[in-house]
Amino acid sequence: MEDAIIIKDLHISYRTVQAASIFKALFKKEKKVKKFDAIKGISLTIKKGQIVGLIGKNGSGKSTLLRAVANIFKADAGTIDTCGNTVQLMSIGVGFQNDLSGRENIYLSGMLLGYTKEYINEQLDNIIEFSELGDFIDQPVRTYSSGMYSKLAFSITSTLESDIILVDEVLSVGDVNFRKKSYARLKEMINQEDKTVLIVSHNSNTIRELCSHAVWLNDGILKMTGEVNEVVDAYEDFMSKETEKKRLQKEAAKKK
Amino acid sequence: MRQLFQNLKEYKAYLGYAPKSILKTEVADTYLNWLWWFLEPLLFMLVYTFIAGFIFSKKVEYFPIFVFIGLNCWNFFDRSIKRGVTLVKYYKGIFSKIYVPKYIMLLVQMFVEGIKIAISYLLVIIMMFIYKVPLTWHILEALPLFILLFILSFGGASIMLHFGVFIKDLANIVTVILRLFFYLSGIFYDIGANKTIANNALYSTILLRVNPIAMIMDGLRNCLLYGQSPDWLAVGIWTVLGVLLCAFGVHLIHKYESGYIKIS
Repeated sequence: MEDAIIIKDLHISYRTVQAASIFKALFKKEKKVKKFDAIKGISLTIKKGQIVGLIGKNGSGKSTLLRAVANIFKADAGTIDTCGNTVQLMSIGVGFQNDLSGRENIYLSGMLLGYTKEYINEQLDNIIEFSELGDFIDQPVRTYSSGMYSKLAFSITSTLESDIILVDEVLSVGDVNFRKKSYARLKEMINQEDKTVLIVSHNSNTIRELCSHAVWLNDGILKMTGEVNEVVDAYEDFMSKETEKKRLQKEAAKKK
Repeated sequence: MRQLFQNLKEYKAYLGYAPKSILKTEVADTYLNWLWWFLEPLLFMLVYTFIAGFIFSKKVEYFPIFVFIGLNCWNFFDRSIKRGVTLVKYYKGIFSKIYVPKYIMLLVQMFVEGIKIAISYLLVIIMMFIYKVPLTWHILEALPLFILLFILSFGGASIMLHFGVFIKDLANIVTVILRLFFYLSGIFYDIGANKTIANNALYSTILLRVNPIAMIMDGLRNCLLYGQSPDWLAVGIWTVLGVLLCAFGVHLIHKYESGYIKIS
């Protein structure tokens, strides 16, 4: 099978206080830079058509990895090769103008994501229908409830297509019915054969259900990768042990 | 440079649509709506005519138009540079979610300003009829000057965009420097006609030729109002320099842009 994403020895760190005042920039040669390593050397290959779940506790570098693949973050060392595929991070409501109508925002957001006007015209009815907004589509977005807002946003991002889809916890959108519908849409999207999908979620059940493979990150290091149930089982086992350890530590501290 | 044109092509649709939508939101919910696009420059023109005419009481031919031409030219440059400095912060919401070449958003903002300036210059043409300015073929020479203004503004703003990410108080410093240039550019007075300046060849060359904005302003006034050609040598030199500035700015952004969002 063809490779879709090849990651080689990836390092990414954040510099929290690097933006400095002009005096510091000019006169202080030693800069105090707080460096936080989010990803410390990950190598990974994802094949075309695979649906891969990224799991790990908070701050383990999942979202950072996703953003690096989407070309939002620069790698400090190592490389990411997406083999010429188009990549899209599914994110909610990018480039929305609150004073414009929902319809205009579909164009605005779609064009910002790099689609042509013709393509958006084709998909317009689809998007409006899926969003369940009805007549509200011609009202300014600022009059929407937060549920309506995210419904529209999800409809846009899930209708426009790309070869590699990156999903970062976008499944909790709208009311119960819409959530079911968007879950079904996501499933439909990622089950197309030629799509490569990377999903970040804290919910292990979601990962088990949607994904074929899983990658477990821990503190910026690749802990385990393989078939989804194996990895998630190991992860859950590890996490319950962690909680147990913490509980014991707390109790010990109390006793003292 | 090739990448620049490729990106421009890719985001062509957005570059056409976004400026319009921004202009629309600016007047949404006002009573007079899109009339403001004309009213605002018109009212400003009245204000400056009043201040300049009564308080400064200058004897320059067609003084209100003289001021208005200069002011609009300056505003475009000034706003482009200031937008550039704070651009990454301003669009953080977008930049942290998807990849867009950063200067695309700069261009969107510059187009917004460009449309406003275009409307203002429509008013200039109307004013020229009212003041019975003799029309000459020199008016056509304004076009290359506008293009040069755009090139210089984009070049300057894209470089500012890059450094604005790394230096927090750049915006404050840029404001002060721009204010200095504002007074040096001769918006309310004719640099060439000022005796202290005109008698000193060094001053007048520095102010009119080394400061490109003053040079463009002077050229615009000459070809629109006084039926003269702009200083083509200076225009040529600054066009070359402007293109180099753009190339440098775009190169900086291409090279470092994926690190921007990690810092701010």
